[in-house]
Amino acid sequence: MDIQSLLQTLQDTAIATLIRESDSGFPALESLHVIGIALVLGTIAVVDLRLLGIAAHRPGALRLIEELLPFTWVAFVTCVITGVLMFMANATTYAENPMFLGKMGLLALAGLNMAIFHLGAFRRIHEWDTTLPPPGQARIAGFGSLALWTGVIVLGRWIAFV
Amino acid sequence: MSAEFIAWLYASALSTTIRDMLWVVPTVQSVHIIAIAAIFGSAVISDLRLAGVLAVDRPVREVIARYYPWMRNALIVLLATGLVMIVGEPDRVLVNSTFWLKMALVLGAFAVAWSIRRPLLKPAASASKGDAIDPGIKLLAWLSIALWCVVIFCGRWIAYSI
Repeated sequence: MDIQSLLQTLQDTAIATLIRESDSGFPALESLHVIGIALVLGTIAVVDLRLLGIAAHRPGALRLIEELLPFTWVAFVTCVITGVLMFMANATTYAENPMFLGKMGLLALAGLNMAIFHLGAFRRIHEWDTTLPPPGQARIAGFGSLALWTGVIVLGRWIAFV
Repeated sequence: MSAEFIAWLYASALSTTIRDMLWVVPTVQSVHIIAIAAIFGSAVISDLRLAGVLAVDRPVREVIARYYPWMRNALIVLLATGLVMIVGEPDRVLVNSTFWLKMALVLGAFAVAWSIRRPLLKPAASASKGDAIDPGIKLLAWLSIALWCVVIFCGRWIAYSI
């Protein structure tokens, strides 16, 4: 099955059709998506700013990350679920939208940035947990994360405008 | 909001310019969403501290003081970007009951948020006051989070209530 027919199949599923044809389905998914977005960026920003040396509500970076990341993950999963459902409702159209494709690309880069941080500077966090400013790698990760997630949100909003 | 005022505003140079420069509305909406993340993230972190769920090892006054300025500044950005959207499309926004409901809820949400934070932002009356939080405050903290969620739903629904 090629991509076009896969997208068409997704779009023709009962759930996708239900969302597309209901009055409140799409707006409800969008609203939940926005709540998820607000919590992903809101919580990750606190961590990212800490990685840039801006204090949060506790001095230690490790404890802050452990405390907030579960919220980030739950919010992100909410975005993925609502996003997949919205995508399915109009799969063939979204797949051709450059803003949507760009958003997916930035999401992948945001994930990569996180992975690099967790495999790198995070492994040595006990060395820099309470020191300010944090090491260069941590600051790059924090800045990259803020820039990439902001980009994800901006491209996401632009989907409807192209 | 009279029809004449809306027509006058729509015909104004400012309103026309906002609509004619096609990048303005999506850009302003993107900034609005980023500010939502700032206010909602700050509200959730500090409200969950008030509810006794998050960062309970940190003094409640410190957590509130850390995030309140972000909430206040994000609200300013939200009002400013919101104003641009209102001026740009007064015919769509000012006749919309969902918009007015949202405005009432924003007032309510911030009133609740302010009422639970104000006593904690002032210098402590006595050093031995401790960190015990009134059960009424905990309830208001959860209510506050719920109100922000409803505000977000209303915000998204404006576009669907034409």
